[in-house]
Amino acid sequence: MIAFITRRLLLGVVTIFLISVLSFIIIQLPPGDFVDAYIAQLSSSGSQVSAAEAENLRQLYGLGEPFYVQYGKWLGRIITGDFGESMEWRRPVTEVIGDRLWLTLLLSFAALIVTWGLALPIGIFSAVRQYSFADYAFTLVGFIGIAVPNFLLALVIMYFAFVWFGASVGGLFSAEMALAPWSAAKVWDLIKHLPLPAIILALGGTAQLIRIMRANLLDELRRPYVVTARAKGLSEARTIIKYPVRAALNPFASNIAYLFPYLVSGSIIVSIVLGLPTVGPLLVKALVAQDMFLAGTIVLLLGVMTVIGTFISDLVLMWVDPRIRHQMD
Amino acid sequence: MTTRRDVLGLAIGGTIGLAATRTLAQGAGQFAQSGLVGKLEGATLAETIPASFQEAPVLAELVRQGRLPPVAQRVPAEPLVIQPLHGIGRYGGTWRRAFIGPGDGENGNRLVASDKPLFWDLTGSKIAPAVARGWELSADGKTTTLFLRKGMKWSDGAPFTADDFMFWFEDLYGNKDVVPAPIPEMSAGGKPGRMVKVDETTIRFEFEAPHLLFPSMLAGDTLIGGGQAARQSGSGTFGCYAPAHYLRQFLPKYSSEAEANARARAAGFDNWVRMLKIRHNWALNPELPTLGPWRTTRPINTPTWAMERNPYYYAVDTAGNQLPYLDSVVMTLAENTEIVNLRAMAGEYDMQERHIDLAKLPVILENRDRGRYDVHLDLAFNGADTALHFNLNHTADPEIGRLLASADFRRALSLGIDREQLNETFWLGLATPGSAAPAESVPESPGPEWRKKWSVLDVAQANAMLDRLGLTRKDRDGYRLRTDNGQRIVIQMTVTKAFLDWPAHAQMIAQQWRRIGIFGDVRDQERALAFQRVLAGEHHIFVFGNTGSEQLFLYPHFVLPVDIGNGVLGVDLARWFASNGAIGTRPSDPAVLQTMEMFRSATTLDEPARNRLAQEIWKIVIDQQFSIGVCGQSPAFAGVRLVSRRMGNIPARVCIAQHCRTPASSHPTTWFFKA
Repeated sequence: MIAFITRRLLLGVVTIFLISVLSFIIIQLPPGDFVDAYIAQLSSSGSQVSAAEAENLRQLYGLGEPFYVQYGKWLGRIITGDFGESMEWRRPVTEVIGDRLWLTLLLSFAALIVTWGLALPIGIFSAVRQYSFADYAFTLVGFIGIAVPNFLLALVIMYFAFVWFGASVGGLFSAEMALAPWSAAKVWDLIKHLPLPAIILALGGTAQLIRIMRANLLDELRRPYVVTARAKGLSEARTIIKYPVRAALNPFASNIAYLFPYLVSGSIIVSIVLGLPTVGPLLVKALVAQDMFLAGTIVLLLGVMTVIGTFISDLVLMWVDPRIRHQMD
Repeated sequence: MTTRRDVLGLAIGGTIGLAATRTLAQGAGQFAQSGLVGKLEGATLAETIPASFQEAPVLAELVRQGRLPPVAQRVPAEPLVIQPLHGIGRYGGTWRRAFIGPGDGENGNRLVASDKPLFWDLTGSKIAPAVARGWELSADGKTTTLFLRKGMKWSDGAPFTADDFMFWFEDLYGNKDVVPAPIPEMSAGGKPGRMVKVDETTIRFEFEAPHLLFPSMLAGDTLIGGGQAARQSGSGTFGCYAPAHYLRQFLPKYSSEAEANARARAAGFDNWVRMLKIRHNWALNPELPTLGPWRTTRPINTPTWAMERNPYYYAVDTAGNQLPYLDSVVMTLAENTEIVNLRAMAGEYDMQERHIDLAKLPVILENRDRGRYDVHLDLAFNGADTALHFNLNHTADPEIGRLLASADFRRALSLGIDREQLNETFWLGLATPGSAAPAESVPESPGPEWRKKWSVLDVAQANAMLDRLGLTRKDRDGYRLRTDNGQRIVIQMTVTKAFLDWPAHAQMIAQQWRRIGIFGDVRDQERALAFQRVLAGEHHIFVFGNTGSEQLFLYPHFVLPVDIGNGVLGVDLARWFASNGAIGTRPSDPAVLQTMEMFRSATTLDEPARNRLAQEIWKIVIDQQFSIGVCGQSPAFAGVRLVSRRMGNIPARVCIAQHCRTPASSHPTTWFFKA
């Protein structure tokens, strides 16, 4: 098992390396090198960059040298925490992302809790009471949830929230609270703003997980060990929760891999529609503005998150499912 | 499309009926009859200085704690006295507003534009005092004198004197590293002028030739017309004053080149010039001493751009209350303009006109009572809310450059545009379609006959003109081919979604150009990036408005290639003009040269003669189609104003214009929250 974990870890490191190469390629993609872009920006703000200065900058970033040398210099700076400066925001990339990271994590976490909180019990219920009225109802709602893109859902919900409740739309704080220092009132303001985006972000995933949970559990419920458990006289609740549900949980665990990047970037389109100050819209803006250090850093962050997520989901799978654990030995 | 106008008619309700909306839409430019366009009005200036001064409670508290000197010591001995529109206001409150990112600096700059040396009255036609209490143009027109206010102070309490002007002239403008090329504003008759300190509160600008335009330039949004503005901080000059006591520390002159650069690098900048420019931007640097009514407390590159009152602001109301009334301004970052509109309709902003979408007017009106706001439409005086500006000096692709430089090619593209369709789709059918010339009510207007010149739909004539240019070969899809390599002619339209949905306008125009066999390639780019491309001279056509062009000599860059800060019409031509031929490219087109010479002669003319000159320039510009006008004189460019019903002293209509730095010329310092 140790060998397995080590292997996964090493693979992870290799993947992260490949992702970093990819991010670097993305940074390099716009025509001209980024000193050109930088000089263009400087001259548009009236500064003139002398040829000598431009040459200095090129040397600093190792431009004009082979790709792997440039990449090496970039990687060297990243390891020391220097991700470069965002050209649009005129601040270090880490600060620009940092501004939004906590709110993004909070929002995504809320969405995650809603997803699991709804999907697990409903999935179990639908499987156990298969073909009941409630199962059909949930199935219907579930299919709609899967079929409707969630940005559309966002628009519709936003419309009704506005028309019926005059609810404030867009953002995570009302305007007067955005600036206020953290206080009970501000937390309350955040709590008031949180459900709408959290639910919208959660719905698509919830519907999917309900279906997966139901299907898996249905498979398990027909297994002989369930019959055995019942024959032994175990209570119905214990029978279901203790064995088949546990076995059916696998998809939840393997989903963790995708949760991590999701936590950071959320659903980009939903964030844009709802005007949420999360990392997703920042990535889009950075790409539009060719703010390549910012865009590359976010891409790198998302990639690394996916790798870490995959690794953790492996561990969790091993923990919930003895079959996987034993296969490895 | 009629339906949307019907909605508008219904929403306006009693004011005009459905049938009336239909009839009025058949004529052009009918916004005025919507009942939402009020009388041009606003705060005025008063002569009498009040006997005593009062201050906002938040400042009184600081005075009581001993952290601020009393108000009588903070306000200048000769403050600007303002008579608010309706009455004396109440202190306090936060003005909630939206901005859309670090590129939206003008959003805040325009609120504090009373930091200019001179300004305009509410009609936008008469120069008014601002930072300077008065000015004088000598009889021979060669000197302009500015009289400053005794006892005036920067926002940090340091004295503001003639030395701050001299510091700008000698240490910033005079330093090639900071301002690489001389600005046209500072020269007359082709010779550079100079600035002289007469005494602590008197500054004189001296020229060798008459410079009758100079006072207007000090008041206009020009490179000399002072204060915090995009033109000043970005490409500009920081003219014509600067906080010497604060900025000296960044200049090598007061230490050494090495020391200044070391200091810059320690702060994370490449060199001292870069650091100076960032530090001199009030939106980015909360420490910068300023003169405007509010100063930044949270910079623009964070999710909230926040400002609070300047305790040393130089204006009071007629009762002696130091302005502004509002304690603070908080602008929240909206991820896109759709969100700005939605939140505005939910009543989450106290006053918002920037980024409000005219096409949403029916919905905006529908939600007036729920959002508790009033809607005012402020009509523009410039000719085109949407204009296609040609790069008259495109060199990267010679074949395209040749076409763009050809007047007949430009005319044909203009004749290939169906302005009625665009008007119906994007302006509710209520704007004025036609050329880029300013409104007929403006003194510089060349006359109504120039509205239609080359600016109506005539596909047959357009095709004939393009054929005559030798562009007769077409590909299978009917697009005309280049004469050099047989490829399709692709005309790039660089466009940015800023005030109007210009990318959508450009898409529709590209569709319409199919009929004349021209392939328009719409390049929707982020604003800063788009302007970068323009300054590099890489674009073919830049789609934007022609805001400010109703004052041709103050804001010429959407009319003639004469402004180095904005090269939509060819940045190298502008460099040539601004440097008197020292750098840049000499225009090969005689029409460009002729208009440049005419433009240059304006400095020696008095106002009536200047107006006549402007009319003549416009006739050439329209005939040559340097820019294609689409539709204009609507409230589309920051003229749909949503104002909370809690706010007082709000004018029914304000003059929206570049030189008025809307809304600054209507004195936002006098706006307040009613009880």
